[in-house]
Amino acid sequence: MAVKKKILLIDDDKDFLFATKLILEKGGYEVFMAEDGKSGVEKWKSINPDLAIIDMMMETWGEGFSVLNKIRATDTGKDTPLFMLSAVDLQGPYGSFEPPPEFPKINRVLHKPIKADELLRIIAQEIGDK
Amino acid sequence: MPGKTDKPLILIIDDEEPLRDGCRQVLEKSGYEVLTAEHGAEGIKIAREHMPDVAFVDLKMPNMSGMEVMEILSKDIPDIILVMITGYASILSAVEAMQKGAYDYLPKPFSPDQLRAITKRALDHRALKIEAKKLKEEKEMMEKNFITFVSHEMRSPLVVVRQYFETLKEIASDKFDKDVKEIIERCNKRLQNLEEMVEHWLDISRIGDGTFLQKKEKVNLESIMKRAIEEMTPLCQKRGITIKTEISRNLPPLMGDEESLMRVFTNLIGNATKYTPEGGAIDISIQSDNYYNTVKVADSGCGIPQDKLPFICEPFFRVKGKNEKERGSGLGLAFCKKIMESHHGRIEILSKENEGTTCILTFPADINAKNNQK
Repeated sequence: MAVKKKILLIDDDKDFLFATKLILEKGGYEVFMAEDGKSGVEKWKSINPDLAIIDMMMETWGEGFSVLNKIRATDTGKDTPLFMLSAVDLQGPYGSFEPPPEFPKINRVLHKPIKADELLRIIAQEIGDK
Repeated sequence: MPGKTDKPLILIIDDEEPLRDGCRQVLEKSGYEVLTAEHGAEGIKIAREHMPDVAFVDLKMPNMSGMEVMEILSKDIPDIILVMITGYASILSAVEAMQKGAYDYLPKPFSPDQLRAITKRALDHRALKIEAKKLKEEKEMMEKNFITFVSHEMRSPLVVVRQYFETLKEIASDKFDKDVKEIIERCNKRLQNLEEMVEHWLDISRIGDGTFLQKKEKVNLESIMKRAIEEMTPLCQKRGITIKTEISRNLPPLMGDEESLMRVFTNLIGNATKYTPEGGAIDISIQSDNYYNTVKVADSGCGIPQDKLPFICEPFFRVKGKNEKERGSGLGLAFCKKIMESHHGRIEILSKENEGTTCILTFPADINAKNNQK
């Protein structure tokens, strides 16, 4: 049996973690979860996932970005696909947010809620075996 | 830092040395920190450096008058309480001092008791003033953050529930029979409506408090309308509705926010498609004269009863239509109205039952833009 690919979910909403975890497990992945940025970065270091999905807006606006920065700064985080999650609507006060040019690479920005089949499809695109 | 202890700091600006010393003794004994200056310029310098809580300013001094000093201090030192000391207490000078921002005045000669009493009153007044300012700032902050707060806090649970439905479909939909699937689908739809409603309501409140991002730049109504039509074409095709356009040549540009106008246009076209029967048509026209640019979106739908027309742009007002398949947020036209107002324009709805509805947007012509046209 092939080794399952590992995905790390970082989001401060337990329900969102749980719902997304079930989808990913159905898709055949091994799923790890972290409820805040700090434990997210620690889990990243200890489990070495193949992909991480990070919520943009945890306790504070921008927390997700600092997590992203920290993960990209690790040896294993340089080239691993990272997805950002957002429920922020683009008309709001953050509508004008644009990452600075030297900002670490985000492979995808996903908008909550995410369609199950779409999520599995784009993950397969990034880390699929094909 | 000298002078910045927990003790209230009092500054005395007076050219008479005995008075300065007398005040200092009295006030220091009462537990205050005291600084003195013998003329206006020195007083202002000390005040800027030490930020006193209260300043006593002699009205009559050589060079710079007490009035001038007070005027500068009240501008420079936040929350400072000014008391004017005057040898010839006339009503007139007292009134002028109050106008310049003085809290009270102290006629010479005065007793230590008088000085203590007025100092205490001035400090109490200052504490109240600061408290009131803080409360006001807090209130403003809360109001400002409220929208952001609502947007996150109200949307998150909706998003999560929708994610759960999505998960349910993914992991168990093969076990559900048709009815269960339909229930899930219907719940999902209603949730999505609620989410849209929250979003639209937020937009409207943002326009109200000025945090709705609108870039005002030269825009071209024709190209915005073309984008809007393009976006709505798939929906129209699905219902077999055709869109006919009549756009006059050489429309002058006007100052506006492309994205919000785009939403106004798609909103109106969306409404029109909702009420137009299959195979019907929507007529869109844009015209301009010297005074106005006028956009019309007309459908051949069921129309709106006359008695309902005046309320049509009110939030959450809906005309109960039998053939309305999709519920909207009830805020679409309210949003359009706000956006039009922010463009100094108007929205007007004409309708005849069973004949159709015409939405008319009027933008005042931009005189400058017209002159700048080639």
